[in-house]
Amino acid sequence: MPKPLRFLLFAVILAGLLFLPRVVSPYKLLTYTTVLCLALMAQGWNFIGGYTGYAAFGNVAFFGIGAYTTGLLMLSKWQLPFFAAAPAGALLAAIVATAIGLPVLRLKGHYFAIATLGVAEALRQIAATWDSLTQGATGIDLPVRSDSSFFYYVALALVVVGLVVTALLERSKLGYGWVAIREDQDAARMLGINTTLFKVLAFALSAVFAALAGAIVAYQNIHVAPDDFFKVEYTLRMIIACIIGGTGSVWGPVLGAAVYQLLSTYVWSHFIELHPTVLGLIIIFFIVFLPRGLMDLFRRLARPGPKGRRIWRDLLLANVRASRVQ
Amino acid sequence: MSSAELGQIAVNALLLSGILALVALGFSLVWGIMNIVNLSHGAFIVLGAYLTFWMYAIWKIDPFVSIPISMAVMFGLGYLIQRSLINQVIRAPLLATFLLTFGLEILIVNLINYFFKADTRSVQPAYSGTGFTLGPVRVPYIRLGALFVSLALVLALGAFLNRSRLGRAIRATGMDLDAARLSGVKVATIYGLTFAIGAALAGAAGSLLSTQVAFDPNLGGPYTQRAFVICVLGGLGNVVNVLIGAALYAVIEVVVGSRLPALSQAVTFGILVLLLIVRPQGIAGKGFY
Repeated sequence: MPKPLRFLLFAVILAGLLFLPRVVSPYKLLTYTTVLCLALMAQGWNFIGGYTGYAAFGNVAFFGIGAYTTGLLMLSKWQLPFFAAAPAGALLAAIVATAIGLPVLRLKGHYFAIATLGVAEALRQIAATWDSLTQGATGIDLPVRSDSSFFYYVALALVVVGLVVTALLERSKLGYGWVAIREDQDAARMLGINTTLFKVLAFALSAVFAALAGAIVAYQNIHVAPDDFFKVEYTLRMIIACIIGGTGSVWGPVLGAAVYQLLSTYVWSHFIELHPTVLGLIIIFFIVFLPRGLMDLFRRLARPGPKGRRIWRDLLLANVRASRVQ
Repeated sequence: MSSAELGQIAVNALLLSGILALVALGFSLVWGIMNIVNLSHGAFIVLGAYLTFWMYAIWKIDPFVSIPISMAVMFGLGYLIQRSLINQVIRAPLLATFLLTFGLEILIVNLINYFFKADTRSVQPAYSGTGFTLGPVRVPYIRLGALFVSLALVLALGAFLNRSRLGRAIRATGMDLDAARLSGVKVATIYGLTFAIGAALAGAAGSLLSTQVAFDPNLGGPYTQRAFVICVLGGLGNVVNVLIGAALYAVIEVVVGSRLPALSQAVTFGILVLLLIVRPQGIAGKGFY
């Protein structure tokens, strides 16, 4: 697509999204806010998991930190407003991510994945036991704010900021460094990239996004409890959103979040008992047939060449042909 | 702490380590040979537990007798899953197999939930709850039996991998895929069989667990995590490493469980992360089987 057309499309979509709260019911708007929050988390995961290639399985930890910090600061004796409490949560998440990242990012592959999973699980237990601060498993109650369009607009603004940040970073020294680490960490180090610094920055940035999403969800739900805000499912959802849309791309996480969440809402309302099965099937389908996601599929479809039924078979089987054993 | 209490802790850790070794055995084999962290391992354990439960509920088959049957069923299922799904993406980047097995886990657990409901179940044959006392220490028969079955299966797998032609082909494939292929090993079949053996061992672990703990469809997840920690503690590469890892883990779990039960996972994972950073290859590990 030529550049002016792309900007026009972006402007039209954005204008439509800005008008959405005026035309849909508050309940529907809740679904769209959920989509945006998932997009925000997925955008964050994209930095560490997509560009840098580190399979972080514990990003829900930062979601939870953001939620708890925002809630506790709003309830504290200073009664901070949301717009001061949420950035504080994001900052704390970035600090924690740096502290955890420095040792954990030295691990590779499966070890990194499980270590991050373990860190998130450990934080859940700490949140559930630290009664004097978090009120344990009961959780904390936030002040009520009932205009649902507020959360929608905050989330939308952050997702747009996320898109701009991703697009800028993708073409920056930092972004190229991340991709170099993903492709070959030793080679990246030989080229003079400070791999530790770059990886920690990616991890901290992903934490900021997850924490901001956590802040919004916490304020909207008005109740924060360890089992709801530290569940592995959130981590899984942000990864799936990235995979569906396309990891390591600007639009992938947002597109994937929209596709996944709308699909999930549909399945949830029609076959509630088999919801996880459908989620599992979606994961399996994308991993086997489209591991580079929809953005990559569109790119390959747009390429000049023969069209028709055969091209679809080739597109879907390209991954299997490259990665199976016989 | 009295000496009787210490003795009971030691016996509990020993009995626990037996079953944990079996839980981790198949997981370790699949990881070591195919470089796949099989997150659906826990779901296979749950399937094994349900197989034993239904065989006992319908035909009154003794849980220890049903172990080979549940192993055979899981072997078949594992082979099918490996050949039809996992082999299709096995050379893709690591995240692919990781997520694929995670998707499988969600799918299997949800289907069990859908068909068998989330009721908590347990298998209680006539001799459950019986045992003997050794001085001040109590030893239940079921847990002792499970320890023996686990050790037998660990030793059998070790002998199979070291002595038989097929076992050596499996190890060769784990060491160097291309070299194994050049020597005439059918790699896809070997991968299928390796995964099937892993699933069968998970089935056996599930059968044994069903007699020891009350279970529901979500039993598996924590056991997958335990299997991972055991593999990291012991290292990959040999069945003996699994025993070492399981023994260490059992001691940690029994001691932490008696002191800080609410933070057990936080402590365990703290130890795990520290160990990974100091010694990523495990305490006694090499890369392969």
